[in-house]
Amino acid sequence: MRHNMKHQKSIIAALVVILLGMSSMAEAAKGNWKKGRIYYRMVCTDCHAKEAGGKISPSEKTKAEWLDYFEKNIHGPQDAPTKYTASYFVSHEYRESIKDTNRAAKKLLKIPEEQLLEDVKAFLVHTAKDSDQPTSCE
Amino acid sequence: MNLLCVQCVIEVMSSLLRVILVFAAFTGTAYAISTADHTKFKELQENFKSGPEVTRACIKCHTEAAKQLHKTKHWTWEFLNPDNKQRLGKRNILNNFCITPQSNFAHCAACHIGYGWIDESFDFAAEENVDCLVCHDTTGSYRKAGDNGGLPRETVDLTYVAQNVSSTSRDTCGACHFYGGGGNGVKHGDMDDSLAVPERELDVHMDAVGEDFTCATCHKHVEHDIAGSRYAPEAAHSEDYHVHRKVFEEEDNAHCRACHGNRPHKKADKSRLNNHAKKIACQTCHVPRIARGGVATRMTWDWSTAGQLDETGEPLKKHVDGNLVYHGKRGSFTYAEDSEPEYIWFNGEVRYVLLNERVALNEDGYVEINSFAGSADDGKSRIWPVKVFRGVQPYDPIMGTMVVPHTTGLDEDAYWRGFDWEKAITAGMLSAGQPFSGKVDFIKTQMSWPINHMVAPAEDAVGCDECHIKNGRLKDIDGIYIPSRDASQKLDLAGWAIALLTLVGVVMHGLGRIVSYLWSKRSCPSE
Amino acid sequence: MSVRVMIFKRFERFWHWAQAGLIIVLLFSGFEIHGSYKILGFEDAVTIHRTVAWSLVTLWVFAIFWHFTTDEWKQYVPTLKKVNAMIRYYLLGIFIRAPHPFRQTMLRKHNPLQRLAYLFLWVVISPMIWATGWAYIFYARWEDFGLDQYLTLEQVAFFHAIGAFMMLVFLIAHMYLITTGRTVMAHMKAMLTGWEEIDPEHEEK
Repeated sequence: MRHNMKHQKSIIAALVVILLGMSSMAEAAKGNWKKGRIYYRMVCTDCHAKEAGGKISPSEKTKAEWLDYFEKNIHGPQDAPTKYTASYFVSHEYRESIKDTNRAAKKLLKIPEEQLLEDVKAFLVHTAKDSDQPTSCE
Repeated sequence: MNLLCVQCVIEVMSSLLRVILVFAAFTGTAYAISTADHTKFKELQENFKSGPEVTRACIKCHTEAAKQLHKTKHWTWEFLNPDNKQRLGKRNILNNFCITPQSNFAHCAACHIGYGWIDESFDFAAEENVDCLVCHDTTGSYRKAGDNGGLPRETVDLTYVAQNVSSTSRDTCGACHFYGGGGNGVKHGDMDDSLAVPERELDVHMDAVGEDFTCATCHKHVEHDIAGSRYAPEAAHSEDYHVHRKVFEEEDNAHCRACHGNRPHKKADKSRLNNHAKKIACQTCHVPRIARGGVATRMTWDWSTAGQLDETGEPLKKHVDGNLVYHGKRGSFTYAEDSEPEYIWFNGEVRYVLLNERVALNEDGYVEINSFAGSADDGKSRIWPVKVFRGVQPYDPIMGTMVVPHTTGLDEDAYWRGFDWEKAITAGMLSAGQPFSGKVDFIKTQMSWPINHMVAPAEDAVGCDECHIKNGRLKDIDGIYIPSRDASQKLDLAGWAIALLTLVGVVMHGLGRIVSYLWSKRSCPSE
Repeated sequence: MSVRVMIFKRFERFWHWAQAGLIIVLLFSGFEIHGSYKILGFEDAVTIHRTVAWSLVTLWVFAIFWHFTTDEWKQYVPTLKKVNAMIRYYLLGIFIRAPHPFRQTMLRKHNPLQRLAYLFLWVVISPMIWATGWAYIFYARWEDFGLDQYLTLEQVAFFHAIGAFMMLVFLIAHMYLITTGRTVMAHMKAMLTGWEEIDPEHEEK
């Protein structure tokens, strides 16, 4: 905060305590991979399968590659980028535009953009090529 | 100045509001926020180095949890069938997938809710051997290693997982149950990782942005004992039904009618479907196909072709359409996806071929490792969908019994290292305490798996025409008359013949009248 | 010279045509349920068959009431008189334009063969269809009435289908015999308007 808060210490402190308490409950800061998974599977995968050229999978990229992808914030192949940013596809505007045909976008309509981006990132890192895969006998 | 900084307050208030919104969205979809925050528990402020250490911390507060679990099938891997007194459970039976965990516990106990079941010396009475995290993890980062009797992988941050525990989820149950038979979707046909985040079309109840049921929504538990059993399932609907189990009863099962009752079709034009429930399990119509989630399920497994290695000496592997169709350690496989199940009369009585029993072939030439009893007229059977899994696996042709192969492990006897069936089975049978002649042959086997999950929305249920038709889904179901399938052919032949003769008769008669009319006109033109 | 006589009263005509339509729909949907063809789809065929069957039951309640209050039931009292003459007429006379051996009146609107045929329809075919049809509809409640010990659905369906085939044969013959009046359209006209033209000099006393 840019302003001097000396005089408002007690009020702000009280608010901060409530805020921290709630945010820790909601894991708001870290990104919720389960929520991100819903969005990724039902919005990202759905559109890619139907319109944008076939299957996509979180295991296409390593954790570092995924983080880099969101750092660059370019949607589509990095050598032939589309006009959209990656973060556009978690924006309110985008969710609003598909909410009538996509139940997941409708359900997750109210989540703040930055939060949803963190959720999707958390899922992709969680399931990336170099993540811990489930135990299997194969 | 004692004035409040307006801008600060607005900023703080808006971020507070945002958090509240996030909070609201979370409670709406993912999971309920608990009244206990495990990150704050002083018992969990430790740098946990092993699974049992975590469990010791858990049971400081959850004092009865481990004792409760010790009584359950999930722990004992043992089940006494109350009807026929067969001693079943994973540790006793065999199947035609990986065959049996016996002599392979170090590997197979990756799906045991305990720590360290490597061999018979495992201490089933030790409370700290219960693995709380595998069922209660919410981070998705907990993994068992798969080669040490169910201990977690060394990469798992146990403290992080322990501080983020909550109720079970589709992910935690699925960590084992989605991967039954050795891989995703292999065994059941109605369970694979597509159910972790299912669309409404895949499972109308588990729909991740709809009802969002977890497994435990239907599989209610009392004292950690979870309802539902395929060793002694309930095939027919009785009159009573209950949503919440209140007492510990071994035979309690999860079932549709717990919520839907016995006359679930409420719309007037569908009410006659309620009458079908006397003969047909709900699943028969409402689980229209198996493996609908985009993951193929395995349909056959031929162990007799195992043993091929590639040029580097590693087990040969072949894939078709992304599915493993050959593996040098295991043999050949086929798959099905989005396919119709088979249908049988089933009354809930299941009988297993156990290790000490001589096998017999059914009329199709298969040993039925589990056989489902039932008929149209025993008064307690329903028509059920089943996935029938067929295989070829080793047996002892002299003793006439099924055998335990020691497949996994680092010793030379293990089939997956030595590729010698006789050695592997000698070791396996020794470990299981069963006699073995030393001879190995292969025999065709089959198992049935009742289909319960991946319940489609009503509009996607099996249509009337799919059974009420000749050669439809129920073509092999005997003992009942199905309109449209079973009309008497003799009656049809006679009936249509008489109708046709009548038609020919009246046409001839009419022609006769026309001819006689024309004739009379010619002979009596004056008229 | 002929005179016009009101043979079929308004209710009777309504009953006849409504019943004809319902029976045709029942045959059509019924043989689909039976498995003879796939046109409507099983579910729709069953829904239609049941709805139309109950409509016919309702119509019959009124028809039976009408028959007894108007004494019209006597039209179906069988007689063997002139049956041979009728048979001879259909086999021979009709081709040589011999006079019809029977003259309609208000009191006797059906010829002896018709009487026998309709009596068979009301006494044999219909009860068979109704009895088996109701058994079919209430199949789910057989246990409540203890019927499940005596009946199988297969038997019920078998006799229901026999009834249906007999009804089909009746329908074919009936539709042809419509054309055997004074003129080809005479009977049809009578059932539509109620009026039949009758030659008074041939009318029996």
